[in-house]
Amino acid sequence: MYKKISISLALGLILIVTSLLAGFASFLRVDHINVLMPAPFADSTTEIVERFNKDFHGKIKVHVTRGPMETEAMSDLAISSLILDNSPYDIILMDVTWLAKYAEAGWLVDLNQWFNKEKTEEIVTGAMIGNYYKNNLFRWPFVADMGLLYWRTDLMERPPKTPNELIEITQILQNRNKVKHGFVWQGRQYEGLSCVFLEVLKGFGGNWINGNAIGLNLPESKNAVSWLKELIDKDISPTSVTNFAEPEALQVFKSGDSALMRNWPYAWAELQKEDSAVRGKVGITTMVSLPGVKSSSTLGSWGFSIMEKSTQKDSSAKVIEYLTSVKSQEELFLNFGYTPTNIKLFKDSELIHQSEIIMDLYNALNLTVSRPQLPLYAQFSDVIQRELSAILTDKKSVNEGLSLAQKNSENILSSSAGRFQ
Amino acid sequence: MTLILILPAALLISLVFLFPLVHYLWLSSKAFSVMTGLVAINNNGANWIRLLNDQRFWQDIYQTTRFAITSVSLELLLAIIIAIILDQRIKGRGLIRAITLLPWALPTAVMALGWRWIFNSPYGPIEQITSLLGLEPINILSTPEITWMATVIADVWKTTPFIALIILAGLQSIPYDLYEALRLEGGNQYSAFIKITIPLISPYIFLSLVFRLAQAFGVFDLIQVMTGGGPASSTESIAMYAYINAMRFLDFGYSATIMIGSFLLLSTSCFLAYLIINQTKSLISNQKP
Repeated sequence: MYKKISISLALGLILIVTSLLAGFASFLRVDHINVLMPAPFADSTTEIVERFNKDFHGKIKVHVTRGPMETEAMSDLAISSLILDNSPYDIILMDVTWLAKYAEAGWLVDLNQWFNKEKTEEIVTGAMIGNYYKNNLFRWPFVADMGLLYWRTDLMERPPKTPNELIEITQILQNRNKVKHGFVWQGRQYEGLSCVFLEVLKGFGGNWINGNAIGLNLPESKNAVSWLKELIDKDISPTSVTNFAEPEALQVFKSGDSALMRNWPYAWAELQKEDSAVRGKVGITTMVSLPGVKSSSTLGSWGFSIMEKSTQKDSSAKVIEYLTSVKSQEELFLNFGYTPTNIKLFKDSELIHQSEIIMDLYNALNLTVSRPQLPLYAQFSDVIQRELSAILTDKKSVNEGLSLAQKNSENILSSSAGRFQ
Repeated sequence: MTLILILPAALLISLVFLFPLVHYLWLSSKAFSVMTGLVAINNNGANWIRLLNDQRFWQDIYQTTRFAITSVSLELLLAIIIAIILDQRIKGRGLIRAITLLPWALPTAVMALGWRWIFNSPYGPIEQITSLLGLEPINILSTPEITWMATVIADVWKTTPFIALIILAGLQSIPYDLYEALRLEGGNQYSAFIKITIPLISPYIFLSLVFRLAQAFGVFDLIQVMTGGGPASSTESIAMYAYINAMRFLDFGYSATIMIGSFLLLSTSCFLAYLIINQTKSLISNQKP
């Protein structure tokens, strides 16, 4: 009898101790959150991440993986890890064009439960575009990014507003030998060309893909592409523009060899460096548009998504909230020139006083247009890039190239059999 | 017993070589893309019908073949000349050999960026030289008719040392006595080259041809970095097309079909080339008394 009691006592004691230990261990448990970001973002957020790890010491620890610098290489890494169904990442910093594809593949989580209406209302409207797919919020904006038209304040009083004005102004400058080239942009066969195309097309009142309708063979599209071709034919843009990505365009403009440049906000900081020939002589606006048509700016932008397979979604949401807080955004804008997304910062009189371009960025952010948000976007973009490149390098006429692009795009649309509409 | 002994090696080879090949073959018969929710669905050979009618696939096959044959022929020609020079007993031979090998030691992406810069317009050195001479800018990387030649030049620059090294090894394996004997018989330099050097290094030439052709048909990084396949897709290679389908479009079924399709085409043409070479060889040897 006595023996029995002592055994049950001992068993009870073991039970109590183990459950206490287990409770203690779960109290001590730290959520390890892995974040994948392109290297430049990983570098610029180092301090913020360190501060987070200090603030959440013993609860959440963030580990940042430095991904490749180039957007496409970054996507390759992310997809390779996701396709194996065993991604080590809880959070991935995503480009705006990946969203539909990733969401359709079932890799992303709806963020609505962590980022409610109140929070979305704090974000500039332009920066909220491109975060939804089929009415689900799949991405939370981190850095806004949009196409800008840089102009030389020492060569003209105000930037051109319409396509014709752009041609007139640059030709006068070139004829007077004030500047070598009129306008440099991204004409290489890659995603940047699709961004330029969308901006110009919108400025001519056209539409790329609107629901089930593809507008590539409409007069607006033809006029837009003819105008781009005209720029090269009239030597306003150098022939070599058809092999320009962002760095090449920036280099020409930075050396003072061009009156205008289409580029992203990052170029501003580069143009203000000491080795820049145009330092202090640059203004910012958006792409030209026909009279009566609103000017447009292609939305770039990066944002955080939580992976469906992550086992620590709540903690991941906390990390995202911290990294995109007003304080972090302000720091990133002042130190690295990252365009903020929170309305508060654009109304901060001190910040407006400190930065000469923040209001220009705000204006551009209100004119953003997103590239078609379809899981098959990459195919559509590839089609237009091929044909535009052929047109701009004289391989095809405008009509020929655009008709083929229209036909090929329709084929892609019909092959998806309305699945994504 | 022999079978058991080769089993580990055979297993390893089937794991790294046969398994992916069979997997791709299986994949090529399925619709497996973001449109099927990344689930493999039978599509009754639709991938193959699409491939046969895909103009872009055939254009890429043509462009890749053009790139491979031009660059490998040029490389071979230059490599033989370089190998012969390196085989001479000259002062500082070791240093010269090391310098010759440098391009091959550079990572392709790095040297491709370098070449992109060399051909850059208007700031690249080539455009600078033409403008100094008062010529019109050539815009090499913006002219679809000639851009592919620029990629050939970059490839030749990088991989000629590799072939030269293999051929140099071949040259050094030729006993000097043979040349001595020929000279005693009254042969000149030219006949020494034709009758001794070429036949004895031909296995090495063949070896490097196999290596290089296989590599050149799979060219990816060089073109991706230099031109991204443009302008007007005039430099896109078959490997790039397969890559775009898999990684950009998430269409793994069609990407596998492109890979298997080009693999079949390549192996058939290699087999045909082998047959032709064998035929001509036996014809030549039959002609001899």
